[in-house]
Amino acid sequence: MKKLVALLLAVMFVLPAVALAGTVKLGFINSITGPEAPIGENLTNGVTLAIEDLKAKGIDVDLIKEDDTGKPDKSLAAFEKLATRDNVVGIVGPYTSATANADAKLAERYKVPLIVPAASKEEITRQGFKWTFRVSGTTGDYAGVLLDLATTLGKPKTMAILNENTDFGVSGAKSAKEIAQKKGIKVVFEEAYSKGSPDYRSTLAKLKATNPDLVFMVSYVADAILLMRQSREIGLSPMAFLGAGAGFSVAQFAKEKEISNGVFSSTQWTEEAPWAGSKVLFKRYVKQFGKPPTYHAACAYESMMIMGQAAAAAGGDREKTREALTTGKWNGILGEVRFQDYDGYQNQRKAVMLVEQVQNGKHETVWPLKDAVKKPIWPFPGWKK
Amino acid sequence: MIVFFQSLISGILIGGVYALIGIGLTIIFGVMRVINFAHGDILMIGMYLTYFLFTLFHIDPFVSIVITIPLMFLFGAFLQKVFINRALNALPQNQILLTIGIGLVMSNTVMLAFTSDYKILTTTYSSSSVEILGISVSEPLAVSFAITVAITAALYWFLYKTDMGQAIRATAQDREAAQLMGINVKRMSIIAFGIGSALAGTAGALISPTYYIFPQVGSVFTLKAFVITVLGGMGSIVGATLGGVLIGVAESVGGVYIGSGWKDVIVFVLFLLVLLFKPSGLLGTSKD
Repeated sequence: MKKLVALLLAVMFVLPAVALAGTVKLGFINSITGPEAPIGENLTNGVTLAIEDLKAKGIDVDLIKEDDTGKPDKSLAAFEKLATRDNVVGIVGPYTSATANADAKLAERYKVPLIVPAASKEEITRQGFKWTFRVSGTTGDYAGVLLDLATTLGKPKTMAILNENTDFGVSGAKSAKEIAQKKGIKVVFEEAYSKGSPDYRSTLAKLKATNPDLVFMVSYVADAILLMRQSREIGLSPMAFLGAGAGFSVAQFAKEKEISNGVFSSTQWTEEAPWAGSKVLFKRYVKQFGKPPTYHAACAYESMMIMGQAAAAAGGDREKTREALTTGKWNGILGEVRFQDYDGYQNQRKAVMLVEQVQNGKHETVWPLKDAVKKPIWPFPGWKK
Repeated sequence: MIVFFQSLISGILIGGVYALIGIGLTIIFGVMRVINFAHGDILMIGMYLTYFLFTLFHIDPFVSIVITIPLMFLFGAFLQKVFINRALNALPQNQILLTIGIGLVMSNTVMLAFTSDYKILTTTYSSSSVEILGISVSEPLAVSFAITVAITAALYWFLYKTDMGQAIRATAQDREAAQLMGINVKRMSIIAFGIGSALAGTAGALISPTYYIFPQVGSVFTLKAFVITVLGGMGSIVGATLGGVLIGVAESVGGVYIGSGWKDVIVFVLFLLVLLFKPSGLLGTSKD
């Protein structure tokens, strides 16, 4: 018995070293449980589809999944485990901005290529890092497309910004303010709230008193619903509610028809996105997982496709994988992806954004107009009594 | 001015629920001199109970308290009989460790069973409101406030007018003397913990339609309950009622005039000030 155990142990230690030929070992960190799990689910499913498609291309991925519950400390631990114990070639993830920002530093230290699929905090790819690549657009892209839409459809003069005081929220608010000022919209209200409070009514009442044309919110799922519920309660009815992706883009939010109808949300991908395969992926996702995907699914799918192909071509070498990512060019579900240096960013994809609006309890693509399936409803029609 | 009254009203309404949580904690402390650090987790159990009664059996959260109250009472009585009673004469720090431990076991069990995903309970009235003089009053909050007032009133009646209530208060005043007078103090302790748990569970049920539910939600409320109880005076029911409303208003009004990210700071500064100038709490009388 003892000999058998010893043999087994020996095999377990030796195996990773020889590594099965033809397979690449990759890591995936995500908010599988926790407050951001409803969004995390989209990333997990997107990656699952990518693994299937990589297999069809002849690339077997040995994927090791880690759950960071959306907490930076757990995410760091997961990254260290993947980088040092599992010896993965590259890592895709994690979801939230706070965790991705933390992990980017470890990618640099352990020299492991990291592709960030959906975290949008600007600074993540603005720190001169060589090992972090980002498929996701930035909060600047989010605010930009929403304000493009607002200034084209109407003539808003003032805007209120309400954001969660997390990495994502703060970056989102900062970008929104900068872009609003460039477009001549006055920011009349700014507030960062700490999540988890049962009562935002007083803050929203103060916001309402400034009578803004636009209300720009940056939140994850639970708070997005809570904020919109309480906005309805106090009768806040601006020209438009603009949600910076995340919590405003999930089906769970759209389903709350009473409070979600008419709300705009920036997105990086929809069923109608102008790139080949979007419709097919959307249908396949719905068939396999029983609900419509958010843009997070497509971002995670594309990130894993890129990482899988780059790592396989590099023969499982981390440095060569990094070079492949820096110089490579991919054409997939998000159109052409290249990791470029621009505007102070390094290894950042220039994202093409769309806008969705919740109409009748469903997210519909309404912007840009050439890809729209429904006409945007402007201005916000007011609350139904 | 409207903003001020709006925040005042929301603060009072949410404060009612805080009061319910605080009263539960203060009764338990009064009778047993045990600070129940599992209080928020008991509230969390109440939330999950409400959630599943609603999603599986379609029982309205406000109606379901008829089921939640007795169940949570039994759950609390069970905790008291099996765990807390054994530690009644132990060192205070051991009692604290025991209740913290019970809380951790509860939140982690729920996490294993239902994962740490946020659950959102949506009723037809989750975002309804009525407007009174330009101030919007949240319907679910107003209903839960009314229920809170009714329950608090019933509790006062029970504690001050019934024999058992008097026995509980006697136990709280002096455990040994009460025992000498022929009061079954062990039984009173079980009932007190049961009532405390039922109140926490009810608060969980009342807050469910407007909040979200996850396994670690308890810690937020344990801390709040503790602050409320100390603020009002440990063991004082009137104090806890007052403390709850005061914290609710401080959060709400402070959120408007200082900043919503500062809510907790405001609460704890208030807490420290009371401790500095009236260490026994607003309505507390130091006994020990």
